[in-house]
Amino acid sequence: MNRLLSDTISFGRQYLRTKIGPFFSFIFPVLLILLFGAVFSAPDGGGISLPVQNLDTGPYSTALLDILNQTGYFEISMIEGEDDIVDYVNDNSLALALRVPANFSSNVASSLPATVVLCGDTSRSSFPIAQGVLDAVINQMNYNLTGASPIVSFEVQFAGSEQFTGYDFLLPGFVGLTVMVSAMYFMTSICAEHRSRGYFKLLATTTLKKSEWLSSKFIFNSIMLIGSLLVTFAVAMAAFDLKAVLTPVSLILVVAGAFMFTSLGMLLGVVVKDPESAAAVSNVIGFPMMFLSGSFWDLSASPLYLQVISKAMPLTYLNNGLRDTMVFGNETSALVNLLIVTVLGLVFFILASRWMSWKEA
Amino acid sequence: MEVVDLQKRYPPDTMAVDGVSFSIQRGTVFSLLGPNGAGKTTTVEILEGLRAPTSGSVTVLGTDISKGYGQIRKRVGVLPQNFEPFDLLSPFEAVGYWADLFEVKLDRKEIAATLELVGLGERQKVMSKTLSGGEKRKLGIALSMVNSPELLFLDEPTTGLDPRARRDLWRLIEETKKRGTTVVLTTHYLDEAEKLADDVAIMHKGRIIAQGAPEQLVSEHGKKTSIVLVGAGPEGLRELSRRGIPALDRNGDVVVTVEDPAELRKMFAKLSSIEVSYKEMYTRRETLEDVFLSLIGSRMDEGVLEE
Repeated sequence: MNRLLSDTISFGRQYLRTKIGPFFSFIFPVLLILLFGAVFSAPDGGGISLPVQNLDTGPYSTALLDILNQTGYFEISMIEGEDDIVDYVNDNSLALALRVPANFSSNVASSLPATVVLCGDTSRSSFPIAQGVLDAVINQMNYNLTGASPIVSFEVQFAGSEQFTGYDFLLPGFVGLTVMVSAMYFMTSICAEHRSRGYFKLLATTTLKKSEWLSSKFIFNSIMLIGSLLVTFAVAMAAFDLKAVLTPVSLILVVAGAFMFTSLGMLLGVVVKDPESAAAVSNVIGFPMMFLSGSFWDLSASPLYLQVISKAMPLTYLNNGLRDTMVFGNETSALVNLLIVTVLGLVFFILASRWMSWKEA
Repeated sequence: MEVVDLQKRYPPDTMAVDGVSFSIQRGTVFSLLGPNGAGKTTTVEILEGLRAPTSGSVTVLGTDISKGYGQIRKRVGVLPQNFEPFDLLSPFEAVGYWADLFEVKLDRKEIAATLELVGLGERQKVMSKTLSGGEKRKLGIALSMVNSPELLFLDEPTTGLDPRARRDLWRLIEETKKRGTTVVLTTHYLDEAEKLADDVAIMHKGRIIAQGAPEQLVSEHGKKTSIVLVGAGPEGLRELSRRGIPALDRNGDVVVTVEDPAELRKMFAKLSSIEVSYKEMYTRRETLEDVFLSLIGSRMDEGVLEE
């Protein structure tokens, strides 16, 4: 059998027999998409818990609460008594609560200011959502009471052909993350193991070339990660109403990503001497990349310096490319990102081939 | 193989190999013998093309290795020191894989036969991580022989093995030699070198301090004969000392060294007449171990020189 093919098969056998390898390639991305997909799914009967202290007995407070209920964003419960609302929120560790004053309906009827109070912890993620919805509902109520209609308004138009959801955004990010974790982390640890157990020296006594060894790892990682993408995509399709699509460019991007991160893992493997340092070195590079490359969230809303840092992260281009092709259908932008990933991969591969030594000085 | 004035210096100033020269004839077993840190493995790794020399010339299978090892790689087999097999491959898979890396076509029967040859026939399908130390070393030898090498390097192949596993490996090495393979055996076991090697080079502190056939080394460096009184102990030693006979206590046995073989009969008679309690008495010709002791000045246990 051809040396390259034999080394690929042999590596694959060993990889699949480890417990950790298949976990990170197949189970890890599926778990991520299921967990995060569930978190980011639209509320179905749930919603933000909104305790309401309604001190008013008139029709307008009832109407307000009915409208809030109909938005589907809230699960409304009533607060009995007339305790101070701030104390009530603090005593019960609530994220937020709404207070409708006693004279709410009479003031509305008399066209006098009628102010409801949204009390809570503004740092909690549910607070700004509740604030936005309440603001919109009260605006609409004001228009209805005054018989006016808004002059300036806005509407949302979806840029894609479909209405995408949170997990459509997450899926490409998780695929990119899996490519990085499986290829880079594993390769760094393989290099450390090969060095500490003398496998490099052993291989150097055969006719296998270093470039062939590097290539076989890339070939195996590519095959495995395409398999991982297909499994993850199938699970996401079955579990959620997925709008993202699997495109030929996304498959090429996964291969290019496997090439880039396999090569980067080998490059890191040049400096590691043992499995312990391999984990440390991989985490120093990989951990910031996990969070600053847009795998979990869109970085366009993050501070400028983080956006600049993200541009230095190879994973950013893989994630962006996958999102371009799978979610937005922007093949041109995806191809630009593919080119960047490929060039970075080539640079890492050449450096790893040159700097990695199987022999002793 | 021809090695001329080989040197290897590690920064800043460690001379691991210091002007070593020797040659090895085809089809022989050549043993580099010496304690840990003598420079054996560094020398052998240079000969294997795994380490660059600081200076000197090395010709392996007629090729100057400074011009590259690629041409002869397929003709050389290597069992490195502390060989570790790939844990998650079976011996069967490992031999097939290694054959592919040397572009040697082995069918399933031939792979099985290779493993039978090294005594792993019944363990060929288990994961290599479950092999014992001796079995792992046997697998290493199987891998090193998968390309039917003309030149085989075995770097401390029996270190840490039990006596039976050592004997099995000795048998393998003897069979390999019979097939015409040149074997370079690195070891710190004197009995191993004495049994297997046609030619021995004793290394110490990066230099070869003696070289030749084992029997030649013994006759050159160890002309004495010893009479051993088994179990004579300290009492026997005191008694001989009282009578002016120089002797040594070696692990409870009393050893009397006779410089001139012609005096041996007289010494026997003398010892027989003395009332010393012992289990048995025998004569012992010097071995490589004694040569080593006389050259280095101390004995060696598992590669470590005794104080």
